[in-house]
Amino acid sequence: MSAVRTIRGRGIVAGRAAGPALVAKEPISFLGDVDIRTGTVVGDLPSVRGQSLAGKVLVFPVSIGSAGAWRFLYQLYQHGTHPVALVCRELPDPSVVQGAILAKIPIVCAPEEDVLSTIEPGAEVEVDGSGLVRVGPPSGLAEQNTHRGCS
Amino acid sequence: MKLSSYERAMLDGEQGEARRIAIAGLVQLGDAFGAEDMVEIGYAHIHAGMALYLHDVELMEELAAIGAKMAVPASANIANADMANWRQTGAPETLVRLQQRAEVAHQKLGSACSFTCTPYWAGHWPTWNMHMTSIESTVTVFCNSVLGARSNRDGFFAVYAGITGRYPRFGYHLDVNRRGTHRVRVETPLETVSDYSALGFHVGRLVGDGVPVFEGFPHRPGLDELDALGATLATAGGVALFIVPGITPPFADLGQAFAGPAPHDAIVARRTDLEAIYDQFTTGDGGFDLVHVGCPHASFEEMKIYARLLDGKQVRDGVELWVTTSRQVRQMAADAGIVRTIERAGGKVISDTCPMSCHFARTTSPDPALGVEPPRLRAIVVDSAKQAKYVRDMIGCDTLLTSTERAIETALGGAFRPRFGDQR
Repeated sequence: MSAVRTIRGRGIVAGRAAGPALVAKEPISFLGDVDIRTGTVVGDLPSVRGQSLAGKVLVFPVSIGSAGAWRFLYQLYQHGTHPVALVCRELPDPSVVQGAILAKIPIVCAPEEDVLSTIEPGAEVEVDGSGLVRVGPPSGLAEQNTHRGCS
Repeated sequence: MKLSSYERAMLDGEQGEARRIAIAGLVQLGDAFGAEDMVEIGYAHIHAGMALYLHDVELMEELAAIGAKMAVPASANIANADMANWRQTGAPETLVRLQQRAEVAHQKLGSACSFTCTPYWAGHWPTWNMHMTSIESTVTVFCNSVLGARSNRDGFFAVYAGITGRYPRFGYHLDVNRRGTHRVRVETPLETVSDYSALGFHVGRLVGDGVPVFEGFPHRPGLDELDALGATLATAGGVALFIVPGITPPFADLGQAFAGPAPHDAIVARRTDLEAIYDQFTTGDGGFDLVHVGCPHASFEEMKIYARLLDGKQVRDGVELWVTTSRQVRQMAADAGIVRTIERAGGKVISDTCPMSCHFARTTSPDPALGVEPPRLRAIVVDSAKQAKYVRDMIGCDTLLTSTERAIETALGGAFRPRFGDQR
């Protein structure tokens, strides 16, 4: 088993959480791309479509869309279908940050390496919202939670 | 970020739990966006507490329960049910009772129970250079672009800003972001308010979160026209500010709007662009269940127009006509005899909500105990491209987009009347 690596980034929302990585290659809109009842990605993101965000560390390039994004992150949290942490290449928009603070979801952005290719889907990831991302070997947990289907 | 002793005291909990939570959230937000310090705000347009979302009314109740009060004038955004005249909308009583709890929370918080997306028509009218915050992007864009106030497109933290009277200094609170990014030349007649709605949608899609600067309006746009334009700029794109030189404070001309020479290339808006928006939002087999006007929530002037079009006439049997506006404008309209004229013609005057805000159980997840069923609607006739977009995304039914005048003619005649004769 490979050792745990630490990737530094910019801490955006404080807190600590760990889970298997879900790596989205495409920009994500929390309003519209995710079914809040199940946490399943229903939007046009081929890399993760049909997979659930629930309990995952979501790794993605950038958030897009609406000033209503906060509401949907908060709703995912209320349904227990939320990602436990976010790692993103670019600073997400203020609404996402607000939703993450409400939902206690730590965020690290601008990581020092290209996490979209260096973090393997399913790898166990721990996010420290002060700006650290620790990546361990895949736990295999991620695949068990996929293909719940779209509603 | 740099905090004043007053802000530090809030953060240290010396002013109570509510202010501590609120300022702590705002400090995190400010740190994320590189804010140097806080601005003092003069107004906050805040979250209503939405009965169709799980544990959302409770968000406002919890703040009220720990003693939160609005430190500045505050108005409540649109909600999920007409809390007074709900029977005419078909909402289940369980949903309405939950929504009414939000009203009690706002009474405790000290925010005005406006429950509208157009609080300015209800008397909340911030001024030039006043820092403010808004959860509703239509309010953000109107206050920035028409009144010259300073607001970001915000989320729940508008509530925190209201509680503390503070907001981190970033985005549209800074002069550097309040200048034009795109030049837009209007080369089409704009004959009705819905043409401004279509224009805003067209341009919003092209400029994203930029700052469009408009020239070439056929006349000086009025308040309802500016309101319609801003609402769709904010819906189709991420626009928070548009500039019409000579209208938007403090920009007198193109040079000031761009803080330098205006770009040579302009986005040109033509009649065909407007037609494309009307076409895009007109789908289905032509059948419809509901005709809706009043998005954004109607002004008193718009209520007068509806009444004039409906006076002495009768909405066709089997057609439902909804006019949505704020409680305050509804009261003014009632006092002027306008509500009676609309109701006598068979129209319904609805406050606190609108079709996309009360019928969207398809995309939300209310408590099953509320008994909310997604409505089975074929199509809604609308006069606003904003309403059209969200009806489609959130209710998932067809829309037919036309002008206000023709939407009302549609309700009277029972057959869809398109904005342009050659459309569909």
